Amino acid sequence: MIGNHRESTPDRIVLHSDLSEISRVFRWIEVLASRYEIVESVQFAINLCLEEAVSNVIRHGYAGQPGRPIAVCFSISGEGAYIFTVDDEAPPFNPLETPSLPMLDEQGEARIGGHGILLIRGFADALEYKPVQGGNRLCLVFSKGASPHDPQ
Amino acid sequence: MSRSEVSKEQDEMGITTEDLPGGIAKVILDGNLGIEGAAAIDLRMNVIAGAHNAVIVDLQKVTFIGSMGLRVLVAPARAIKSRGGKMVLFGPNEMVEKVLKTSGIDTVIPVHHDLQAALAALQ
Repeated sequence: MIGNHRESTPDRIVLHSDLSEISRVFRWIEVLASRYEIVESVQFAINLCLEEAVSNVIRHGYAGQPGRPIAVCFSISGEGAYIFTVDDEAPPFNPLETPSLPMLDEQGEARIGGHGILLIRGFADALEYKPVQGGNRLCLVFSKGASPHDPQ
Repeated sequence: MSRSEVSKEQDEMGITTEDLPGGIAKVILDGNLGIEGAAAIDLRMNVIAGAHNAVIVDLQKVTFIGSMGLRVLVAPARAIKSRGGKMVLFGPNEMVEKVLKTSGIDTVIPVHHDLQAALAALQ
């Protein structure tokens, strides 16, 4: 469980509630990936889940209101998993309780939106939501994955 | 065959179109199809969808795709389908294909790894 992990090596980035800020997350992940030798497929999953989580906060949690904070923290668990927490000051909302929408809409056509939560569920290895004072905290956990240096 | 290209700087999304025989439009995407990349090509994709009934979207050079990137594939595919046409996806890398499968997009927009099969699907 997330709460039992012995965490180390914290790192943190604070974003403003603007979608253009998400490119800063990508650059930050690039640095972390290089520093901690995060394999490419895991880096892809982290980028994907953080883009979806942060954009959900900006578009839905803050309803597009500019200048609000979103803090993303990184740590490595005692077992070597990568842990990211996304903290916001938006009204309480648990994205993990949002039901996945069917692929087809009411007209039987491919649904244009609503894939974000599905992707987070599909690409993160563990998720945990916690309401915190004045906001929300979403924890996303990613297993280390197979290292290209690991013996076959 | 005519070719139209929008230049791409580092970290930007590139989009190139080619008119193939049989009235097929080939759209070659290149780069990061996250939120910013998706916004950069959204209008262009809709214009292409409005002008062609058979479209192949080459994803071989797409390094990343998120839910906003999926939107710029699904909306044109719906528009084309509504006119009786078809759009197919070609050559996504392993992780991009995993996004297509996880979202279920692959069940409504066919994904091919063989170019001839992709083109045949549009005939």
